[in-house]
Amino acid sequence: MRLKIDYNITILVSALLAIGLVAVYSATSSGSGENAYFQRQLIYSVTGFLIMVSMPYLSYRFLERISYVLYAFSVLLLILVAFIGVKGFGAERWLAVGPIKIQPSEFAKITTVMAVARYLSDRDVNVNRLKGFLIVTLLILTPFLLIIKQPDLGTSLVFLALYLPLLFWAGLNGFALFLIISPLITVLLSFNIWALVVWLILISGFLYFSRKKWLILLAIVSVHIGIGFATPYMWDQLHDYQKNRIETFLNPEHDPRGAGYQIIQSQVAIGSGGVWGKGFLNGTQTHLKFLPAQHTDFIFSVIAEEWGLVGVTVVLLLFLALLIYLISLASVVKARYASITLIGVAAILFFHIFVNIGMTVGVAPVTGLPLPLISYGGSFMLSTMLMLGIVQNLSHNRYQM
Amino acid sequence: MREFFGNFMIKKNILVVLVIFFFSILWLGFFNLQIVKQDTYLQKSLNNSVRKETLLPVRGLIRDRTGRILVDNTAAYAVAVIPKVVKTAVLDSVTSFLNLDKKRVLKKIKRNSGFRPVTIARDVDRKKLIYLEENRLHFPGVITLLEPKRFYRDSVYSPHLFGAIGEVSVEDQKRNPSYENGELIGKSALEKEYDAELRGAAGVVYKMVDASGRELGRFDNEFNVAPQHGSDIFLTMDYNMQAFAESLMTDKRGALVALDVRTGGVLAMVSKPDYDPRLLAGKIDAATWNKLLNDEGHPLYSRAIQSVYPPGSTYKIVTALAALQEKIITPEWQVYCPGYFKLGRRTIRCWNAGGHGDVDLYGAIKGSCNVYFYKLGLKIGLDIWEKYSKLFAFGIKTGIDLPNESAGLVPSTQYFNRRYGKNGWTKGNLANLAIGQGELLVTPLQMAQFAMILANRGTYYRPHLLDHTYNFAEKENSFYPVEPHYVRGISNENYDVVLEGMRRVMNGGTGWRGKVPGVEMAGKTGTAQNPHGESHAWFITFAPFDLPEVAVAVIIENGGGGGANAAPVARKFLEKYFYNRLIPPAAPKKKIEEELAPIDSLILPLHIPGPMLMIPSLEDSL
Repeated sequence: MRLKIDYNITILVSALLAIGLVAVYSATSSGSGENAYFQRQLIYSVTGFLIMVSMPYLSYRFLERISYVLYAFSVLLLILVAFIGVKGFGAERWLAVGPIKIQPSEFAKITTVMAVARYLSDRDVNVNRLKGFLIVTLLILTPFLLIIKQPDLGTSLVFLALYLPLLFWAGLNGFALFLIISPLITVLLSFNIWALVVWLILISGFLYFSRKKWLILLAIVSVHIGIGFATPYMWDQLHDYQKNRIETFLNPEHDPRGAGYQIIQSQVAIGSGGVWGKGFLNGTQTHLKFLPAQHTDFIFSVIAEEWGLVGVTVVLLLFLALLIYLISLASVVKARYASITLIGVAAILFFHIFVNIGMTVGVAPVTGLPLPLISYGGSFMLSTMLMLGIVQNLSHNRYQM
Repeated sequence: MREFFGNFMIKKNILVVLVIFFFSILWLGFFNLQIVKQDTYLQKSLNNSVRKETLLPVRGLIRDRTGRILVDNTAAYAVAVIPKVVKTAVLDSVTSFLNLDKKRVLKKIKRNSGFRPVTIARDVDRKKLIYLEENRLHFPGVITLLEPKRFYRDSVYSPHLFGAIGEVSVEDQKRNPSYENGELIGKSALEKEYDAELRGAAGVVYKMVDASGRELGRFDNEFNVAPQHGSDIFLTMDYNMQAFAESLMTDKRGALVALDVRTGGVLAMVSKPDYDPRLLAGKIDAATWNKLLNDEGHPLYSRAIQSVYPPGSTYKIVTALAALQEKIITPEWQVYCPGYFKLGRRTIRCWNAGGHGDVDLYGAIKGSCNVYFYKLGLKIGLDIWEKYSKLFAFGIKTGIDLPNESAGLVPSTQYFNRRYGKNGWTKGNLANLAIGQGELLVTPLQMAQFAMILANRGTYYRPHLLDHTYNFAEKENSFYPVEPHYVRGISNENYDVVLEGMRRVMNGGTGWRGKVPGVEMAGKTGTAQNPHGESHAWFITFAPFDLPEVAVAVIIENGGGGGANAAPVARKFLEKYFYNRLIPPAAPKKKIEEELAPIDSLILPLHIPGPMLMIPSLEDSL
């Protein structure tokens, strides 16, 4: 019997899982009797793998049809967690069902993608019309707001990261995309007057060639100039403690006593790894326990310390190959639903990978997002594998309309 | 290929290029750290790098409403060991030198590891400290630390208000994960209730250390955080009044609670016997602790909020209001009191053996006639009695800002059925409750709250000690939210009736000894029989009658008659409150003999459970 699996995905995922297991083993082996972590991670990985390869045996039509139901269910769970959630590390993220603790926000990522895909697969829907655009926005905004309230900023940002890729893939026109993205860039650049001026000139140029009505263009440019000059002024108006609060909000795991320490230690671990690394089980930063959360959020610094730039490059290439493969698959599948779902999954994975690895190396803020397939943790592992299982299903049914 | 959302090839390429671009940024980050700066980081990691040290914040002060400092900080010296460095032999000699329990110390060290100092002794005396400092070389891994200790200003006492601070326990950490090992936190009373405000936030300094834990200087000032001063808290009371109230209760067992009826703010809250709070500041001596713990006067126990007592005749007011509101009687309803009451085959005597004769409701309150209220209780029945008891907030916690408050007990039909069986209880139980005896239990604070409810005719405020906190970082006061609550469904006319009765209590009634000259007042005495010896003396009052400001409840355990023993305490307190001086007693108009004190006879012998002790868990700080 031929197995219904996509070998490209299966091989890439298996390689990453294996690397993850090695890293978790190393991160937790130094203490006495802590190898329970490795054993549990092994169980999670095997279970997850089985889930992934069994997903293609579900009917594709069934998946498509229950998308809305799953979405409604996960939003319901998110509302429930707000009322009867278990407090874990200061945020209500868990829902206790008997002895099992589930994290609805993990589940909500894939169901949101599926619901948006289901909606956009309707031939009559056009994201360039106000109605289509608003409904997609609403579908994504609802779980986002519920999760940000938990408060789990890291996970909620995943939903924002979905927004643009999905709209882009569904054919939102360039002008609209520009209108969404450009104000954010203006705010970021507003603290440097020269960058702002160059940016405003670029905007004006772009608008000139867009051939819209003069009045509209003038309005857009003046809004940008307004935002650009008002932002630093408003920032200065804030009290120091308010600034601190905003900075802490943008960076919620930032316990001032913890976060600085984590970044220092992570960078020392990575930097001291060099080209070839210190070797398996030889990372001093890891094994002297200088690195906190080393088997969960900061797992990549363990890899970087022990396997050096060579190991880092290999893992980055494996992730890159997986993402490019998903994007390519999205451009060849026959069904709209499958195509949009694939892009959504790719966006989720990309955001996790970039923010997590960027955090260890200091180019992204500390947000507490784990690294897919590698970080220790059952709930996250299973939800990732479920997502990849759906991808396997779509790949198997790629010629279905 | 169908291209249903526009040209996929172009879009695919755009996305692929973007992903490659972002991955390149990541890769360059690693390139920068691992190739360009490898030497620096390798050196740092060889030096075994960075150690985090905690900077202790200054704990906020406790002040009274005038700003007077009541609880202050002072410096104390502590001895700590670094688990990674200290050797067993050194540990042995230090523990024996400081007279410490070695098992306890080892257990404590076991909970920690690495280079973080673990405090093993607090508030170490100077001589021993100097010895340790002089012989530092003989004690590797042992360090001395400066840490704050609570200091109570002169003439400040009130241990039950302030409480104590002590070392965090495992249970505390479970409750609040932000507490770190070895930290000093509020363990009881205000220190515990407002710990989050008082403690401030610890700062942190990063230091370079080598593999043996030696300091090599600061790491990078950018990451250091200064400690944040804890907020000061300001109480609603003027401490002069509190100190005066405490002096009134010296050598007595009992409690006094005075509330500002316009806000619910506590003006004084006394519980005696108590202890010197200085005994539990800094180092706590095991012998002292055990002595306090085993003292039969239970000085660790805050009677004002934790002890429950039968309220005695003071509770007749609730019975009266229930009967009036349910229209079971009118104020003119009369009972003939022959000095005794027959219930079934039993005869119970009224405290006034001669009998009160024909009394109406006003007279019954004024003279605290038991026979009248026995009959009234039987008329209204248990369910109505229970409904009104709960309406006046008995049987539930007042919600004062102190931990471990008792709720008291309002028995119901279900309660009696459960306790005595369906037919095991009689009308006698009900008659008992009508005069505030029997299974009914209240705290002194609840009685003061009840006096406040009467003073405001149904409006009351949650009793609270905190007026406001002052946050040093934001330079802001934040005030305790004073919100009115209402006892619904009692008409103003009915309040008029009982308040008039209570006014007569003070003017020639059982409470005449509680009257402050020149101030119109309302009050009620109580003399609660109990199985633990002589009756408890109760008195509740509020004043002035027309524009009430202050409500007071006093209980003196086994103090005898409420009018003779509790009322004068309240009077002295209120004289100080209104005139800031004591008024010499006038010659008594008529001779009232002590044996004529109105006692609320128990109809049935009762077993009332003794107080359940809830004491601060300071064992970890011993």
